[in-house]
Amino acid sequence: MSRCLFSITVVALALAVGACGKGGDDDGGTSASGGVKTGPGATADTITLGYLPDLSGVFAPNGKAMMEGANLYWDAKNKAGGICGREVKLTVQDTGYDPQKAVAAYQQMSGDVIGLGLVLGSPITSALLPSVEKQDMFLNFAGWTSDILPNENVAIAGTTYDVEAINAIDFLMDKHGVKSGDSIGHLYFEGDYGENALKGSKFAAGKHDLKIVEQKITPADTDMTGQVAAFKRAGVKAILFSAAPPQAASLAGVAASQKLDVPIVANGPGWTPQLLTTPAAKALIANYYVVSSMAPLSVQDDGVQEFLSAYQDRYPKGTPSSNGSLYAYAGAQIADAALAKACDDKDLTRKGVLDALRSIDSLDTGGTIAGTLDFTDPSKPPGKLVYIAKVSKDAPGGLESLGEPSEAPDAQDYDFGGS
Amino acid sequence: MSRRAGVLVVVIAVVVLAALPIYLEAFWLQTGLFAMAAIIAAVGLTLLVGLAGQLSLGHAFFVAIGAYGYAFLAGTDVPGADAPSGLGLPPLLALIGAVALAGVAGALFSPISGRVRGIYLGLASLGLVFLGQHILQNAAGITGGYAGVTVEPFSLFGFSLSDADPDRLVILGVPYGQLERLWYLGLVLTAGSIWFGRNLVRSRPGRAFGTLRDSEVAAAVMGVDVVRYKAAAFTVSSMYAGLGGVLYALAFGRIVPDSFGFLLSVDFLVMIVIGGAGSVGGAAAGAVFVTALPLVLNHYSGSLPLLAAPGSGGVSAAELSRFVYGAAIVAVLLFARDGLAGLARRLRSPALKEEVT
Amino acid sequence: MNQFVTLFVGGLFLGAIYALVALGFVTIFRATGVINFAQGSVLLLGAYVIGRLHDSIGFWPAVAAGILVAAAASVLVDVVLIRRARAADLGTLAILTLGVNILLSTELTRQIGTDVLSIGAPWGSDVVEVAGIRVPASRVIAGGVALVLVAALGVAVKFTDWGVAMRSAAEDGETASLMGIRLNRVAAGAWALAGGLAAVGGLFLTSFPAAGVTPDAGLVALAAIPAVVLGGFDSPAGAVVGGLIIGVVSVLCAGYQDELSFLGRGIGTTAPYVVMLLVLLVRPSGLFGTREVTRV
Repeated sequence: MSRCLFSITVVALALAVGACGKGGDDDGGTSASGGVKTGPGATADTITLGYLPDLSGVFAPNGKAMMEGANLYWDAKNKAGGICGREVKLTVQDTGYDPQKAVAAYQQMSGDVIGLGLVLGSPITSALLPSVEKQDMFLNFAGWTSDILPNENVAIAGTTYDVEAINAIDFLMDKHGVKSGDSIGHLYFEGDYGENALKGSKFAAGKHDLKIVEQKITPADTDMTGQVAAFKRAGVKAILFSAAPPQAASLAGVAASQKLDVPIVANGPGWTPQLLTTPAAKALIANYYVVSSMAPLSVQDDGVQEFLSAYQDRYPKGTPSSNGSLYAYAGAQIADAALAKACDDKDLTRKGVLDALRSIDSLDTGGTIAGTLDFTDPSKPPGKLVYIAKVSKDAPGGLESLGEPSEAPDAQDYDFGGS
Repeated sequence: MSRRAGVLVVVIAVVVLAALPIYLEAFWLQTGLFAMAAIIAAVGLTLLVGLAGQLSLGHAFFVAIGAYGYAFLAGTDVPGADAPSGLGLPPLLALIGAVALAGVAGALFSPISGRVRGIYLGLASLGLVFLGQHILQNAAGITGGYAGVTVEPFSLFGFSLSDADPDRLVILGVPYGQLERLWYLGLVLTAGSIWFGRNLVRSRPGRAFGTLRDSEVAAAVMGVDVVRYKAAAFTVSSMYAGLGGVLYALAFGRIVPDSFGFLLSVDFLVMIVIGGAGSVGGAAAGAVFVTALPLVLNHYSGSLPLLAAPGSGGVSAAELSRFVYGAAIVAVLLFARDGLAGLARRLRSPALKEEVT
Repeated sequence: MNQFVTLFVGGLFLGAIYALVALGFVTIFRATGVINFAQGSVLLLGAYVIGRLHDSIGFWPAVAAGILVAAAASVLVDVVLIRRARAADLGTLAILTLGVNILLSTELTRQIGTDVLSIGAPWGSDVVEVAGIRVPASRVIAGGVALVLVAALGVAVKFTDWGVAMRSAAEDGETASLMGIRLNRVAAGAWALAGGLAAVGGLFLTSFPAAGVTPDAGLVALAAIPAVVLGGFDSPAGAVVGGLIIGVVSVLCAGYQDELSFLGRGIGTTAPYVVMLLVLLVRPSGLFGTREVTRV
């Protein structure tokens, strides 16, 4: 009797199993609606973009600021009619800056989105690339490292940290009396951000016979006493900075206290206007500069001013930031351009959006990103120009731009290598 | 009759688990794979900490050796100045090699347990994790540094566990891609690890480990070679960790040093404490809890509209899931002091005396 | 040579702050045997309260508030959670404090957001110059405060009733309670003290030359763990010495990063743990910890 029961159960189970599988992954399904070919993520009335910021981990403040910028842009766009007559919807998942969570989150949304409007973090992007490439997804990378190049699927908002560093050294030699044979300090974060910037500074140093005094730190290091002492001992004439705002305040303050009065030039992520409320404010106002593709908020160009007034309307208590909310706004501009072109080409499939992106050769973002963007070569960052800005107490966002966006001659010979 | 029922239950479980890839979406398969890797590593840790009584916070280090070891042994040399090198061994050999490497590392660390004991041993092993991070970040030629390294998909006798040829294998209308195929590898490895661990606990060496935990002097007096058994405990535990690391690497596809830091080591400790130290089944339950809970919370929190617009001061869905995770740890430990295994024991046989492990 | 002395002195002062945090760990461990993983978030809580309140009620009242809140939070953790689970083994209790840490730090991170809160200290970025060596005033004050606190604690533990009660409870809880010592009071006192120490440590860690109160400040408690271990988990003197050693090691490694670059970059984070490992190999219970004696 029990043997009978046994075999009946097994057979029943087998039948149940066969009855309803999940079916194949509907990856290649396309359909036409209104003459435009659509794929996953695009229907007759909506286009869905995936967003993977960090909302609860190390970069949560940046991630949240980015979502402010993204929502700002897409809400306005939808009010004006959307793209291709379709409403743009965002699917947001928190990655917690944890590759495991990110991969799981991506798996969850990948079937329903036409592309990734924002992915925060190089380790996250690295973890997702195998699947992103397989699924022909467009990926807006919230970071500026050239390590990720060459890559067909990734779009960067401007130029990369290494190029920023080359421009920084050019600026120092041009305007701050740094000469051949001098030493320059470089304080940088461990990881893709800092080490990519270091690549650029070493390149420029090699061209001009400068010595780079390296100091590698981690986000947990908040006291720059030892680092400044090492810089002082080496007699540096300037310091390059590729870390985060807390370290910037510490660096500037300690340097001032140790009478190391040299210019400090930082990459984009190295500034936030709140630093002006710290004890290091005076030192920062005296010696701190920022080199970045993202516009300082004081720039008078249309795109930037539009962003600023829209932000202040919607988030009166918030603080707009160049590499937070402004970045996501600019990223949305890039996604918008790619989607609009794909619509013109009547191909709203994932591959269609990617092809559209790669056919854009001079996107003008109204100043939010320096210069115009050229996405046709996946082995180079789309931007070439940078803004150079000085800390100023009165300018909105705390940075005053020193003239029009520029490009250092050295940057033209720089080889991105590929990894 | 009860024995037949027991066999029936096992058969049903096997059939259900084997059939899951047909029903589950990619997210659940991915989460399941991560959980399986965690289970294997957690079982190893509970054998070391719960059974043999050697506190170790360095488990993440051995997991990293397994993961990076497999990536290096199986990896093919990618052209490019910055790319890490690889030996290109067949994946099965690479798996065995990585596990062996981790075991050797464990054996090399074990003499320290002869000198340093208790809480100090635990924190000394924490030092290993930081040392490991330093090496992973700096030895870019082998580990790819901060950029990480792509992991070669597993393949057995020419059958590749990757998405290379999804239409070649279609079962009941479902094309089997990388995740689905890896699922079975994961099941086999996890089941094997649990089975082996259970047997170890009940065997003579297992009892020797137990004596070691209770009193080293008494163990020595009873003829247990303390040095050898400690070394064995560390070796076995790190081999488990290494195997878990290999599965992590396969499940991720690309590994970075950040994943194997202090937080991971603490996670493992949380897993075995929540599960009940010394219990293999408990370690498995704890591993599923710690790995899957944040991912599942994230999964469902996304379907609620973000509770508050970012920056406006409210609680966002992401923070809510962190809160729930922390609260869950506190709740489980407040109400189930011996972990889930202790809870299960008490529920199953409240009248009987507790099993001596 | 001047450089070395500047670095060494700087390291000593930083070490004084680590010593305060380490002392907090040790106090709780001695009184209740628990490793309090929530110490980092309590530190952040104290600093956060001071950062938020100094504008409205003045710096010194804000400091008092910060210390009180941190102490109260610590006691709350003890009373609400640890006591309930008193019977559980120490591993469980440690992980319980970890859960609390996750809750507290998530909430504080949410509150702090993108802000870099200035701690509002009156000594700002002033610098003191002694014999050609420039040290930030905040560090000198930190060193002074640490010295006073450690001395006061040492005196209190040795000569006051409360101190005797603490020591006897740590030595043998059962006998102590038979002799009329209220173990719960002693434990609460220890937790409150640890909370207060964490707040003071947090105050100085977020003063110049750090930028201000950021969510990372809580990670410092992690950096204090090697200090606690190499000094000996149950030794206050060990915590102080350990803190000083770790401070000096971190700053020296950062200052001489170029010379040490053959060991790989960024050795500053790993060095404290390596030092800890080496000390443990020579003295398995830390420099001043009680050696385990097995009675047969």
